[in-house]
Amino acid sequence: MTIAYSGDSITFPDNSVQNTAPKVGMVNRIINGAMVIDQRNAGASVTISSTAADTYSLDRWCAYGNVTSKFSVQQNAGSVTPPAGFRNYIGVTSLAATSVGASDQYYVAQYIEGFNTADLMFGSASAATVTLSFWVRSSLTGTFGGAVNNSAVNRSYPFSYTISAANTWEQKTVSITGDTTGTWLTTNGVGLRVHFGLGVGSTISGTAGAWAGSPFISATGATSVVGTSGATFYITGVQLEKGSTATSFDYRPYGTELLLAQRYYVKLTDSSGASNALGLVQIEGTTTANFVMPIAMRAAPSGTSSGLTISDGSVTPTVTSLSNFGNFVNGVGVLLTASGGGLTIGRAGRIRIAGSTTAYLDFSSEL
Amino acid sequence: MYKLLPTNEFGKTTTVQRTTGNVFIPFDPANTDFQEYQKWLALGNQPLPADAP
Repeated sequence: MTIAYSGDSITFPDNSVQNTAPKVGMVNRIINGAMVIDQRNAGASVTISSTAADTYSLDRWCAYGNVTSKFSVQQNAGSVTPPAGFRNYIGVTSLAATSVGASDQYYVAQYIEGFNTADLMFGSASAATVTLSFWVRSSLTGTFGGAVNNSAVNRSYPFSYTISAANTWEQKTVSITGDTTGTWLTTNGVGLRVHFGLGVGSTISGTAGAWAGSPFISATGATSVVGTSGATFYITGVQLEKGSTATSFDYRPYGTELLLAQRYYVKLTDSSGASNALGLVQIEGTTTANFVMPIAMRAAPSGTSSGLTISDGSVTPTVTSLSNFGNFVNGVGVLLTASGGGLTIGRAGRIRIAGSTTAYLDFSSEL
Repeated sequence: MYKLLPTNEFGKTTTVQRTTGNVFIPFDPANTDFQEYQKWLALGNQPLPADAP
């Protein structure tokens, strides 16, 4: 058995040829790049209505608009056939013909945790080149834009790409020389931001293909998706990897991808109405319970709920509020307060996500 | 608007509620909802007091 090498190529006994070192580990720093996981909305459309903060849609993907209700985001919006090898995409639909002011911003984005970008060595002389690749399809053609930024958004790399044909999937690749300056977090904060512009004003758009010390989130002159009512912008197969070439998409097992996403968001549902957790009635009308997460969350999570009840064996009041009473490595202690009281101190409290498709308990530690 | 939630069993307030959406927010500097709350406080706002136990 011989292994031959010639120039930059290695030929193995089965005649396969390896031209570059194989990548191992977390090749793709983007989580849910194939848009498979949508815990929050299960494929339902979300109109981006918050102007105070990002709104999360598909897992790990957020969206923002300066003016409320100008676009919607939905897994597989429009029900077009995804590119070969993919079953899902994130779909943006413009809901109006919106004029974009100089400082306005409409985008979809993913913020990558610093622990997952630390080895890129951004902010040092050893900063690695990274490559962003993705499949995109739009009802519009022309030059589109986006940007890679640090946590503080005072280091920006605007990029542009061309969509040549309307309503046709095209794969795009952008190589980005690592930033040797600026502050890049390597903690559980934001390590790196990836923005895809949908309409970004001139004062926050910059020259494509160069690092700048300004808060640019798109490239100058990029097409505005929100500028055309009914315009669509679909994207999938998003991959950000170390190196100067785009490799094939890093398909991870579904369970792995879901766990990666659940570090940032966990949604518990149960339309059957089965018992979901047991707690203890320590104070009349309340129950304390520990919820163990599938994976240690990025930070102590916020939480919301709908349709929860507590039963102590005698009464079954509805939960009216939650509060965090403590955090442990992979879970959170929650104090659930129920309406009407009646829960008996010292009894166990059986917590149910009460038999409804809209009932849930969720925890979020998004970036 | 925000509202403080009752103290825990150790007598500490560890959570604030964003009344829009009924979101409970832990006092964790790494939590982005808590960061938004801190910005809101910095503007001179004050949360509603917790309900009496």
